[in-house]
Order: sequence, then C-alpha cells, then structure tokens
Amino acid sequence: MRRHAGAIVLFGLAAVAPLATRDAYFLDMIVLILMWGAISSAWNVAGGYAGQVSLGHAAFFGLGAYSAAVLTVHWGLSPWIGLVLGMALSIVAGLIIGYLSNRLRGPYFVLATIAFAQVLLITASRWREMTMGSEGIPVPFKQGFWALGLASKVSWLYLTLGFALALYLVQVYLEVSRMGYQLAGVREDEDAAQALGIAGRRLKVIAIAMSAALTSAGGTFWAQYVGFVDPFYVFSIDLSILFALNTIIGGVGTALGPFLGSILITWLEHYLRATLSDIAPGLIGVHLIIYGCLLIVMVRFVPQGLIGALGALFTWRARAAQRERHART
Amino acid sequence: MLALESVTKRFGGLTAVGGVSLDVDEGDLVGIIGPNGAGKTTLFNVIAGYYRPESGRVVFEGRDLTGHPPHEICRLGLTRTFQIVKPFGNLSVRDNVMIGALTRVRSVAAARTDADRVVERCGLGDYAGVVAKSLPIGLRKRLELARALATRPRLLLLDEVMAGLNPAELAAMVELIRRVHAGGVTLVVIEHIMAAIMRLTRRIVVLHHGEKIAEGVPARIARDPKVVDAYLGEEFTLE
Amino acid sequence: MGALPQLVVSTLLLGGIYALIAVGLTLIFGIMRVVNFAHGEFLMLGMYLAFWSFSLWRLDPYVVLVVALPVFFVVGLLSYWLVMKGVIKASHNVQIFTTVGLSIALQNVALVLWTGDYRFVRPWHASEVVRLGGAALNLSQIVAFAVAVAFTGGLMAFMKFTHAGRVMRATAEDREAATLMGIDTERVYRLAWTIGIVCVGVAGVLLSPVYTVYPQAGLQFVLLAYVVVVLGGLGDMRGALFGSLIVAAVETVGAYTLGIAWKEVLYFVLFILVLVFRPAGLFGQRGAETLGM
Repeated sequence: MRRHAGAIVLFGLAAVAPLATRDAYFLDMIVLILMWGAISSAWNVAGGYAGQVSLGHAAFFGLGAYSAAVLTVHWGLSPWIGLVLGMALSIVAGLIIGYLSNRLRGPYFVLATIAFAQVLLITASRWREMTMGSEGIPVPFKQGFWALGLASKVSWLYLTLGFALALYLVQVYLEVSRMGYQLAGVREDEDAAQALGIAGRRLKVIAIAMSAALTSAGGTFWAQYVGFVDPFYVFSIDLSILFALNTIIGGVGTALGPFLGSILITWLEHYLRATLSDIAPGLIGVHLIIYGCLLIVMVRFVPQGLIGALGALFTWRARAAQRERHART
Repeated sequence: MLALESVTKRFGGLTAVGGVSLDVDEGDLVGIIGPNGAGKTTLFNVIAGYYRPESGRVVFEGRDLTGHPPHEICRLGLTRTFQIVKPFGNLSVRDNVMIGALTRVRSVAAARTDADRVVERCGLGDYAGVVAKSLPIGLRKRLELARALATRPRLLLLDEVMAGLNPAELAAMVELIRRVHAGGVTLVVIEHIMAAIMRLTRRIVVLHHGEKIAEGVPARIARDPKVVDAYLGEEFTLE
Repeated sequence: MGALPQLVVSTLLLGGIYALIAVGLTLIFGIMRVVNFAHGEFLMLGMYLAFWSFSLWRLDPYVVLVVALPVFFVVGLLSYWLVMKGVIKASHNVQIFTTVGLSIALQNVALVLWTGDYRFVRPWHASEVVRLGGAALNLSQIVAFAVAVAFTGGLMAFMKFTHAGRVMRATAEDREAATLMGIDTERVYRLAWTIGIVCVGVAGVLLSPVYTVYPQAGLQFVLLAYVVVVLGGLGDMRGALFGSLIVAAVETVGAYTLGIAWKEVLYFVLFILVLVFRPAGLFGQRGAETLGM
C-alpha cells in the first residue's frame, strides 16, 4: 500500500476537492491536470514501459477527438460510440506504428511517428466533407451522460478522475504483472529477452496499440470537455511533445510520474498565462520557453524525473537519519 | 538431440559459417573452439534463431528449427547466453532471473520462488536485490547463466561464460557448469580458454574460417596438426 | 506540355534551397549522430535576422548574408556550449529531447520577442519576374538557388579538400578510431554543429524574400529537410543533394497534379515508406548501421 501512497493522496485530494470549493477555475484546473496526466500515462505505456519513444501520439489523440466529433455532427451518434470507434482506429494505427517500431530504432522511429501524425493532420485539415477542414469542428452540446454533455464541472471532474485512475492502474499492472516484467526485459535488451522466450516484437506492438487506444480515449474526453476540435491542435507535434514532457518531468516508466508532471506543467501554464497576460499579451509564450528549458535541464540532470529526485531525497534523508542514530548509539 | 545439417551463413560476400554439420546427443557436453572470427558465435546465432542460414537445417529433438524466431526456440527448450553479456541493467538480479522463469510459469509469485532458487543455485544469493548493471563482470556472467537456466532449457548454448574471469571465479564457474550438466542439461560451450574446456568437455569441435576442421576427444584435438596450425599466432592457452 | 518547363525549373530552384537546409542537418547527424530537432528554429532565426535588418535599416537580404555568417557562427558555438556539449555522449532519447527542448524554447523566444504575426521581406528583387525558357520566376528565387548551390558546393569541397574536413569525415566514419588517432572529437563535434547551424542560418536569410517569416516557420522546413536527409541517407551529403531534388520534384509535380492541399501527404508517405524499406536512404549505407539497424 505504501508504494501507492502518493497516488492515494493525489486522487483522494482530487475526489474531495468539489466539497471544498465550487470555483470553476480551480475545478477546471483539476480536470485538466487529471486529463493530461492520464493521457501522458497512456504515452508512458509505449514511451516508458515499452521504451518506444514516440513524438506522434497526437495522431491517436486526434483520432479520438475527431471520431466522436464527426459521428456526433454527421450522424448524431453518441460520443461513447465515437470513443469506441476512435480506440479501434487507434489500435489499427498503433499496429502500424508498432510495425514501424520493429523496423526502426531511436531517431528513425521518432521521425516516423512525427511523419505519421503529420499525415493525419494534413488529412484532417483538408478532408472538408468529413472534418470541416482547417476550421475545425465545434462539438454540439447535448445534455446527458449518454451524450457526454456534462453541464457541471464536478461531473467532469469525477469522469476524468475515473479515467485517470484507470490509467494509473494500467501502469501499475505493467509493473507487477507477467506482461510487465517481460516488457521490462524487452525494453532493457530485446535480444536477451528473446533468448529467454519472450516474443519481444509482438509484445512491443501490443504495448504500442494499448497506448494508442488509451491516448485516443483521452482525445475523445478532451474534445467533449473543451467542445471544439481544431486539427492544427489535436494532431500537432506540440501536443505529442506535451505528453512526453509531462512524463519526463514526472518520471518515465513510473505510474505516478505522468500525473506529477501534469500537475507541474498544467499549473505552470495556467498560472503563467494568467499572470503574464495581465502584464502584456505578448508574454503568453513564456511558459513554453520555460517548458523547453525545463526539458533540456531535466533529461540531462534529472533523468529519473521528479519521482526519482524525490525518491533520492528520501533515501538520502533516511540514510542521514540512520547515520544519526548510529552516531548516538 | 540437436543436429546441424551443413549449415551455411553468409554476410555479403563473407562466409561466416560454411557447411557445418554437428550432432549433439542428450547428456552431451560439447566444446566449440576456434580462433577469433572462426564463426563460433555466428553458429550459436543460427542455432538459437537470431540468424537464418542461407542453406542447411537445424533440427532439435526431431523438429526443424530453421527460420523459427529465438523466443519460440527457447520455449522448445533450447536457449543461449551471450558472449557480450546482456543483463537487464536497470533491474535487480532477482527480476532478471524472474523474467526467464516467467517463460515457464504464468504466475509472478511462482516465478519469483523459482528465480530465488536459481539465483541461490548459481551462487548469486547475496546479490538478489542488487541492480544488474552494478555487478562486476564475473557475476554478470553468472547472471547470464542463471537467467538462461530459469527458462528450464534441455539444451543450453554457453558463449564464453568463462572469459574475463579470475582464477577463483573460473574454478567456481567450471564447478557450476558441471553441476548444471549433472542436473540433466545438455551443454554446448564456446570457449577460448583451452585448459578449462579440456577439463570440462568430452568432445571438442574446432571451427576455422567458418568450417569444421576437427572433432574429437580433447586429448586428440590438442595434438591435431590442423588445429595447431589454425591456432598459430592466436592465443593457444594451455596453461 | 506547357507546364513542363515551369515544373522542371521550379523543382531545381526548390531543390537547391532544400539542399542547403538539409546539408547542415545531415552534417550534424553524420558526425555527431544527433538528430537535430531544433534545426528549423535556426532557419527561422535566419529569416528574422533578414526581416529586422530589412525593416529597420533597409538592408537587402543579400547584404545581410555577409553578416549572417559570423552571427550564426556565434549562435552555433553558443548553442553548442550551452546545450549540446553536455549530451554528446548521452543516449538517443536524451539527445532527442534536448534538441526538442531547444526547439520549443527558441520558437517561443521568437514568439515572445517578435509576436506571432506573419512578416514579409520584400526587396525589389522579390517582385522582379524573370522568364526562363517558358517558366516565370522571380529574381530572389534564382539568387537563392545560386547562392545555396554555391554554398553547398563550397561545404562539400571543404569536407573533401581541407584538413579539418578530412578530420570530420574520419570521425564520421569511425569515432573510436578517430579518438585513437589523437583526433579531438569534441572539437570536431563543435565544428560540425557550428557549420550546420551556419548553413541553415544562411538558408533562412536566403529564403526570407520568398517565404513568410513567423516563429513556427522552421517547422515546415525541418520536417521537409528530414524527408530529404532520410531519402539521401542520414549523414550522406551527396545523398542530401539528390534527396532535395526528389522532394522538390515530388512537391512540384504533386502540387501540379493533386493540388497544393495534398502534396505534403505525398512526401510524408514517401518518407515513411523510405524509412521502412530503405532506412539507409535511397542510395546510401552510412548512418543506419551504427544505429543498430
């Protein structure tokens, strides 16, 4: 239970937050932190647990966002159907990316994932009959759970909390299960894993497809929450980078890491946007400059992320305390 | 148990293994020697499924393995270690071995018990919780062996598990290999250290430029003029 | 038939400019084994240099070209010392995210300093139409092409004939051997990075009269440059030249037949196909094998 203490505190606080306040800004922040944390966790399944770093995950996010929006707008279908369709499409796309991951390594794979998302971006922004092209799709609001039209922020908070919890549990599963151990082997050394009887290639493809489907679900939720799908945002490389950024800041390959990263990054963005736009509207890009620098500094000096840094701090303290006890006796 | 039928593997114009045939019976302990670049490791890569041979067949317990991927071959009971050890560096010794054990048992708890037993048997008990990348080379070689054993192979290919060990470690490794063999695992061992392999094996195969130039009991191999020729200018360690 | 000369000339002109962007990228990759995701941002900085020089002091981009060389030399050195030096020996993932971070930071520095407005540099030669065998183009395009080709040619000659160039090639061939031979590889990396940045900075200045200047301007070109570089084989300079022509041809012909809207899809699909089926490039071998292909 102790290893999940951080998660229990985090999700617990989110769960009781509506009791403390009904401030829309505050609740919106929690929804977004949970949402981005969950989607970054989905990235983490491929990028962290399977070791397949992608900068094209916006492709899956966009598929999820568009599937629901398009089905609702054209045929009046429930976004839940769109959610399933988006996940199905993303699994197919994930299988393609997974296939690529077995042919390409390192930078080549990263480049291929970027190109893949770019193809979808261009398609979405040009296929006017289906996607309304570069103007994007306003998602019509229809009240009710079945239509994912939740009027209150509190309902959204609990929905995203459920989603976030699910993602957390998926990651924990990847730490303690047979599949998780085998995946760790593949990530550490694929040749050695194969010699130990692990179907490394298939496992990687499964992990990437899983990651894709979960990212897509996040895309659907996000689009329904925000109410608008813009191709240049949902398929953008900036978004793909954001998923990676949250995870790297928090701790790659850890279940809580993406959520910690999301807290910091989401909060930073909102805080800086609010304060800086008061000073001068031109300053809104400042948070992105900080992201960029943070990324450079983190990967170089704190590759374990916040989790690793905190962990090191605690062990260091524990050791210091131990030394102190020894000194006294 | 294992039969190679004139296996050939080429890289571009270079023939790394040329028409090698070999039979290994159940309970054998066969040594493979040869100078650097003789094709020993390539041969292992072909047997274990990492390379597909241009011609020839690899038959294990009556089943044609040619073209099967390594993980399937491992599940059939044939696995290998790597000359350049490939530990899962960021995982503990126990987890390393457990990943091998999970190929045979589905439950993580059972695999952990299994792994602990293997770790103990390989003399790594004191290091079970240590992260693999912090092990010294001698222990990494053991880990390589332990991990392979956890998959419960009937035939195990050992690629230079004795290289780079100090005399004490070497003696312990020879002992360990003997015990593994006595436990019913058929072994094929690539080794550079002649003294060790002479003591250990009953039959030695000599590769040179990818071809088998001699096969027989250790004493005869040491006197074979072709073998001595092949090794001229190479380290012929018979200390 | 009537369109053919225009297509050929457009392909050549576009190809020449892509080559200058791609050559720096492939140089950096070939020698440092670093995929520079921030490459496009240096292009964007070059465009802004031209823009501000033009709008503040009415300096023609071709005059700025002379200034751009030392400016980007310094920019290259600075970015190397501040950012790249520490990750030269790090893993691919660390390097990838370092240059991604650099890209985000630079892009948004430009956004904050100069806003997201579209800017134009339109000196007299940008509207000077030249007719060349049935094809109409403006003078800026032709000059950009000429300078780009001269620059690329000069760089290739530098790599082939000078001592520094040979040392760099030796390092690209075999890092360990180079170190054993007493080559200061750290200096080689610094030089490769700096030259790569100078190339792309110059390309930015050259492109300013032809394209729009804005903070994300680099992105479209850098993705394209990667297509070029992968087609030619990462690290292969001559391959980059061919790659540029192929991409330019795909782009021009694609725009002509499918319409501008879909031409990009064409080359991204081409890109993925090449990555999958010819990861070492259409002609080359180098680069791929060291990455464990």
